[in-house]
Amino acid sequence: MSARSIMDPNPTVLHPDDHIRTAAQYVMENRYRRIPVVDDDGRFVGVFGVNCLLRLVLPHAAIMENGLESVHFARETLADLYRRYCENSDMEIALCMDKEDVETVGPDTPLLEAVLILYRTKASLPVVDPETGKLVGVISYWDLGEKVLAEGGKNDAGN
Amino acid sequence: MTPGTEPMPQVIFGLDPMWFAGGLFFLTYILIMTERVNRAIVAMAAAALMILGGVLTQEAAVRGVDFNTLGLLTGMMIIVSITRKSGVFQYVAIWSAKRVDARPWGILVVLVLVTAVLSALLDNVTTVLLIAPVTLLIADELKVSPYPYLFTEIFASNVGGAATLIGDPPNIMIGSAVGLGFNDFLFNLGPIVLLILPMLLIPFYLLWGRKLETTPERRLKVMRYEESDAIKDKRLLVQSLGVLALVIAGFILGHDLGYQPATIAMFGASLLLLITNFPRKASEQSKEVDRTLADVEWITIFFFIGLFIVVYGVESTGLLELVAHQVIGLTGGDMAVTTITILWVSAIVSALVDNIPFVATMIPLIENMGSMLGDQESMTPLWWSLALGSCLGGNGSLIGASANLIVAGFAERAGHPIRFLPFMMIAFPLMLMTVLISSVYVYLRYL
Repeated sequence: MSARSIMDPNPTVLHPDDHIRTAAQYVMENRYRRIPVVDDDGRFVGVFGVNCLLRLVLPHAAIMENGLESVHFARETLADLYRRYCENSDMEIALCMDKEDVETVGPDTPLLEAVLILYRTKASLPVVDPETGKLVGVISYWDLGEKVLAEGGKNDAGN
Repeated sequence: MTPGTEPMPQVIFGLDPMWFAGGLFFLTYILIMTERVNRAIVAMAAAALMILGGVLTQEAAVRGVDFNTLGLLTGMMIIVSITRKSGVFQYVAIWSAKRVDARPWGILVVLVLVTAVLSALLDNVTTVLLIAPVTLLIADELKVSPYPYLFTEIFASNVGGAATLIGDPPNIMIGSAVGLGFNDFLFNLGPIVLLILPMLLIPFYLLWGRKLETTPERRLKVMRYEESDAIKDKRLLVQSLGVLALVIAGFILGHDLGYQPATIAMFGASLLLLITNFPRKASEQSKEVDRTLADVEWITIFFFIGLFIVVYGVESTGLLELVAHQVIGLTGGDMAVTTITILWVSAIVSALVDNIPFVATMIPLIENMGSMLGDQESMTPLWWSLALGSCLGGNGSLIGASANLIVAGFAERAGHPIRFLPFMMIAFPLMLMTVLISSVYVYLRYL
């Protein structure tokens, strides 16, 4: 068995031109941890999710490479966080999504390897065709969980 | 370490040792300058070729390595790696920003001073790694461009680093090779640094200072910072500052007692490792020590090792002595002309290439010139010129010092990139100004 057998072949996707405000609303309403972003040709270009939203409310100096190790000394309120979010919310998600180092699997990645990567990634896993770069599906905890537990049902039926 | 005592080299294929070593040295320099291959790899490979090619035996190569420089660098890196975890450097930056009521120009001045003082006591790269993120946060709160702040911090780190033995690698190398101590550097180079810093603030003010503006509300946000909360571990703070003070006292007093700086720095490092790890379980200790040792910039250390061997190889063939003769010929053997020439040449070369390989080459070259110019004592102005030129020259361009590139990296990530040419258009003339001030100082004080 391979990744293909446990993925959702018609996942929800975002477009790089979508505005952060819209994408944020969508992520929050549906409680998505992260959603794959695909371009006009269906090619996988990154993921957008709660981590990107957290990044938008934190000061840039703290999240950049070699940035501040701690901001214990700063005194901020929710209003400050909202103001920082508003400064960026009209941007396109292409500018703040995760692009590099996003773990993906191919449709033919063996089942166990895909599950191990899912475990290590701690978020839904985009399934990308290695030849075309197109997104062919997403593996989520919930889909996988349902399918594993369904095995129990099969056994019961067999008995 | 007198290369004259090394056995006559037997170079492969019967090549002339001077040509082989000189060619390898030249190639090493070019490769380091292109930055296509990591500098530690280049230096290590070149050192190995110097031995495999037959210029040096392995024993001779090891004699060429200045372990005092390596020990001092490594020891200080360990101490700083532990000290920074206490949060004391953030504390100092925020505390000083609040002392000037978070006024944009005031903050620029105090951050320049803080950067200069820290650079004098720590290495420049560490200093800017600690100060630049705080700077960006404050500039963000005040809604002012971080560009002037980062630009001036580059200058402050290179100028401040010139003031002490431990402030900048060229000083460490010179002090170690020539036997000049912490106090020698402080008393000879400290005054000129104290003069250059305020002089630099004038062009900084004219360029940026008068245009920096913010609102009272934004200043209030910075004023609300609780600097005392930046201290994450009070115990660690006391321990690490205590050891740091002990080490600096050791540098000041140890020279006359015959203790080399590497011994003092390494003792400080092991003492701090001991007192911070003693209460931990054995397994935790090894994890923690592993983490601390991983913080040592091994690229720099291995770069030094390779470079020392390459330069020693070149020196052992007599090539540097030959060049020294040529230089003396050009300056007519006049001490004043030689001193000022070294200052300016060091500054301009250090602006364009890494000052570490330059100084590593200049030290044996000047030592060779010394035997032609006079006694050891009258040589000291040449060393101060080399130190000042190579440290201050680092300001001349973005690639003049590693700290410059680190700051440029921060500027890039903050969305205010410091570009090579625009930086140089302002930095190079300012660097020349600082070298001019130094020339007057060196001339009046030593010549």
